[in-house]
Amino acid sequence: MTLNAWIPVFALMTSLVAALVIFLLPEKGYRLRTTVNLGAALVKLGLVVVMVWGVFRGVDYGLSFTMVPGVTFVLKADALSMMFAGLSAVLWLLTTIYAVGYLEDSPNRSRFFGFFSLCVASTMGIALAGNLFTFFLFYEMLTLSTYPLVVHRGTEKALRAGRTYLIYTLSGGAVLLLAIAWLHGVAGDLPFREGGHFIDADPEIHRSLILIFILLVAGLGVKAALFPLHGWLPQAMVAPAPVSALLHAVAVVKAGAFGIVRVVYDIYGVEASSALGVLEPLAWLAAFTILYASVRALSQVDLKRRLAFSTISQVSYIILGVSLFGPVAAAGGLVHLLHQGLMKITLFFCAGNYAETLGIHRIDEMDGVGRRMPGTSLAFTIGAFGMIGAPPLAGFITKWVLGSGALAAGMDWVIAVLVLSSLLNAAYFLPILHRLWFREPQASWPEERFWGRLETSAWLFWPPLLTAVMTVMVGVLASLPFSPLSWAELIVLREYSP
Amino acid sequence: MIAFESVLVLLAVGLPLLYPILALRAGWARVLRYSMPVLPLPALVLALATEPGWQLELPWLLNGGLWAMDELRRLFLLLTAVLWAVAGIYAVGYLGAHYLQRFCVFWGLTLAGNIGLTVAVDAGSFYSFFALMTFAGYGLVVHEGTAEASHAGRVYLVMAVLGEMAILAGLLLASAAADSQMLSDLPPAIAESPRRDLMMALLVAGFGVKAGLPLLHFWLPLAHPVAPTPASAVLSGAMIKAGLLGWLVTLPFGDIALQGWGTLMLGAGAVGSIGAAVLGVCQQRPKAVLAYSSISQMGLMVLMVGAAMADSERAPVLFSVIALYALHHGLAKGSLFLSAGMSLPAGRIRRAAVWLLIALPGLSLAGLPFTSGALAKLAMKEGLAEDKLDFALGGYLSPLMTAGAVATLLLVLRYFWTLSGTLQTGRNPPMLAAGWLMAIGVSLMAFWWMPWEVEGLVKSPLWLPAPYQLWALIWPMLLAVALAGLTLWATRVVRHR
Repeated sequence: MTLNAWIPVFALMTSLVAALVIFLLPEKGYRLRTTVNLGAALVKLGLVVVMVWGVFRGVDYGLSFTMVPGVTFVLKADALSMMFAGLSAVLWLLTTIYAVGYLEDSPNRSRFFGFFSLCVASTMGIALAGNLFTFFLFYEMLTLSTYPLVVHRGTEKALRAGRTYLIYTLSGGAVLLLAIAWLHGVAGDLPFREGGHFIDADPEIHRSLILIFILLVAGLGVKAALFPLHGWLPQAMVAPAPVSALLHAVAVVKAGAFGIVRVVYDIYGVEASSALGVLEPLAWLAAFTILYASVRALSQVDLKRRLAFSTISQVSYIILGVSLFGPVAAAGGLVHLLHQGLMKITLFFCAGNYAETLGIHRIDEMDGVGRRMPGTSLAFTIGAFGMIGAPPLAGFITKWVLGSGALAAGMDWVIAVLVLSSLLNAAYFLPILHRLWFREPQASWPEERFWGRLETSAWLFWPPLLTAVMTVMVGVLASLPFSPLSWAELIVLREYSP
Repeated sequence: MIAFESVLVLLAVGLPLLYPILALRAGWARVLRYSMPVLPLPALVLALATEPGWQLELPWLLNGGLWAMDELRRLFLLLTAVLWAVAGIYAVGYLGAHYLQRFCVFWGLTLAGNIGLTVAVDAGSFYSFFALMTFAGYGLVVHEGTAEASHAGRVYLVMAVLGEMAILAGLLLASAAADSQMLSDLPPAIAESPRRDLMMALLVAGFGVKAGLPLLHFWLPLAHPVAPTPASAVLSGAMIKAGLLGWLVTLPFGDIALQGWGTLMLGAGAVGSIGAAVLGVCQQRPKAVLAYSSISQMGLMVLMVGAAMADSERAPVLFSVIALYALHHGLAKGSLFLSAGMSLPAGRIRRAAVWLLIALPGLSLAGLPFTSGALAKLAMKEGLAEDKLDFALGGYLSPLMTAGAVATLLLVLRYFWTLSGTLQTGRNPPMLAAGWLMAIGVSLMAFWWMPWEVEGLVKSPLWLPAPYQLWALIWPMLLAVALAGLTLWATRVVRHR
């Protein structure tokens, strides 16, 4: 086999090997563990950059072998995989840096970082999976590797959240497996293919295809936190901040959304999905989730819980974009895969900084934090404005492209959803920003710690600022080649004219 | 010389945008304070020294950026740059140590937005700068930190977000209809679209929030007065005009005559100019009176916008008049706001001199001959002359304008009255006094060099009105003075009882 076949494998193995090495390292091996962690993250980022360049020029990366007759294991890099792999590679690096600082001096760090790497390996696998079976393998591996992270603190609350998380995701996985098996029975082993497989499907199997689609979306919708399958996500916010950041921005919810994108584009094909009539109900469900979760977010007093409901809302933008039949809307949805990741990880990093540095968890404790922690608060402000969709940030690009796409597709009601959602986002983010910058601080913080010159530990200080800068850059420079928007347009170009 | 203008426009936007970096170090507070007047200077040079017509392509920006300059934008840019410059000088002397850095950060960002939106001609960057100005402006409004400021800030923010969303929806619909991201392509597309009325409603209301359109104006009399005085001046002088500019560059004017929308805007303008005056004369505090006066003056500009909508052939002429009127009002209103933060010197003669300087921009606003106000009022009168307009309600415009002129002076007199009760005797910081003097100087002099000869509306020599015009200017003023005198007399009588 050529080198090109092995590059995706290498990308997958870096995190896997890192996970194994870290599990074997003694708890005290702080320096070595950090080196392995960061080294693996950098290597993976390098490999992803190489693949992005290759995919752009049309190089084929991938390999496949038959597990049992009829079931193959396929790894493949196409434009869509690189979107998710790129997100995962960039944010893994930053989250690793952040987690090293966040978990300083806490127990069980080997276990934590081991599962952390395993979790990232799973997202890499999900990104590079070339058929539903391979996708499913890594999808379930993700469930199992994130559970120990959610319950890492070992408190009763964490265990309860972990139990809910498992019940939801394993049931989702079971439904997904059922759907995949059924589809296999109906149509055989289908690789992900641009344009999909069912454009000329036999009318006799239409009913089965519709039912399978519903099951697939139900199975994937658990992780994507589609209403009414979102219940686990607000509970899971008891996890440590870097885990929440990863869960919300990269790994779990994105895996669900990414799976739905794969099903719509590369299994069914967007035209076939539209012809089957399954896209419009999905769009309505996504729109409802967007508004419902935003309304719920309004009444949350815990910062991370509010952010969790915001995630539920924002991830549905991706699904909305994909389910509007039209290339522009699709680009709007796909680009949000990356944009939402950048913005949400910024917000969770900041929430973690407030908790670690000042002991702040509730929104009403945030008065005047901007004076004490200007850097973190600046990052939070940028992230929040991005979520609202204020120009020229990442969220605005999403909203603008999604809105234009909806109009082009003749789905005008989407504009109302976008505007309402922005209003709700403004209603639950702007009061926080007012507290940060314009209220007088209370006499003392709940639990203050000091780190020399910077407002917090340097490991915690820089990652949110970097992601905030990226949030600005992907918006302002949206028309540059290799910007998330340009890449999303490339994907759409290939999906709509395979 | 393309490069020169490109560098200049990048500098004009970039300098205030990057200026907040100075706030990173606590030790740089002095630098932060003293560089405030410098920020709008590149924009000023851009407005004065370059010929309109240049453009700068920024293909990497958002959905493809394009910044350019035409005659209309040049006047708005000039107003913005001049007013922010004199208010910046004033602010150096005015600001205390109270959260100085925070104020400067928001000052810079708001300025960057305000300058940027006058040069941006693509929808993405125009909307970005507009939003930047709106959201950063919140920091100026709530700066004092009082309960009143917080309340005003909340109302400001709610209205602003609603306005932003209306603009976003309007721009999205229009740019989808036009299949273009450029503002100049939007008006014809709106004119032909089956959803014309929806788009117009969204854009009229969205920009109307900023421009103080009646019923969307609630935030304005709350927010403009509570801000620190230099911020009040730019809010009421320059930023309020951004809404007006928004209308002029997005709505269809020359493409199609819209009688219905024209009538609606005329009604809104009439209600705004007269209604705000009625509410304004009841105000107790000088800056609140001025805020209502701004709504009233914007009402007169809305009248012209309405006329331009209803009579598409007349639109180009009216555009020039609107821009010149906006320039005149912005400078005069800015000077009046800055006066509210002054202290009076001791000594009778010097006191009288200061009062004269305070009074001149106010009287100019009311149309005193030999001031920019006289020219603005005459240009408006000629521009809206009945026999030149081709639509049903043209006959009502003349009495409306007269009533507007009476209302203007009444408000100005009310402002002087309330101001005389609040001004204290003392010394002014030199920079504060310098900024104030420059504001008044520019307000009284700048119009000499303005291109007033729009389509022969105002005859040369510019500043010398013909006798019949003189009378047209003066009699509403006399009426207002008589009314004010009557009120004063009546109050005296009532008090004596």
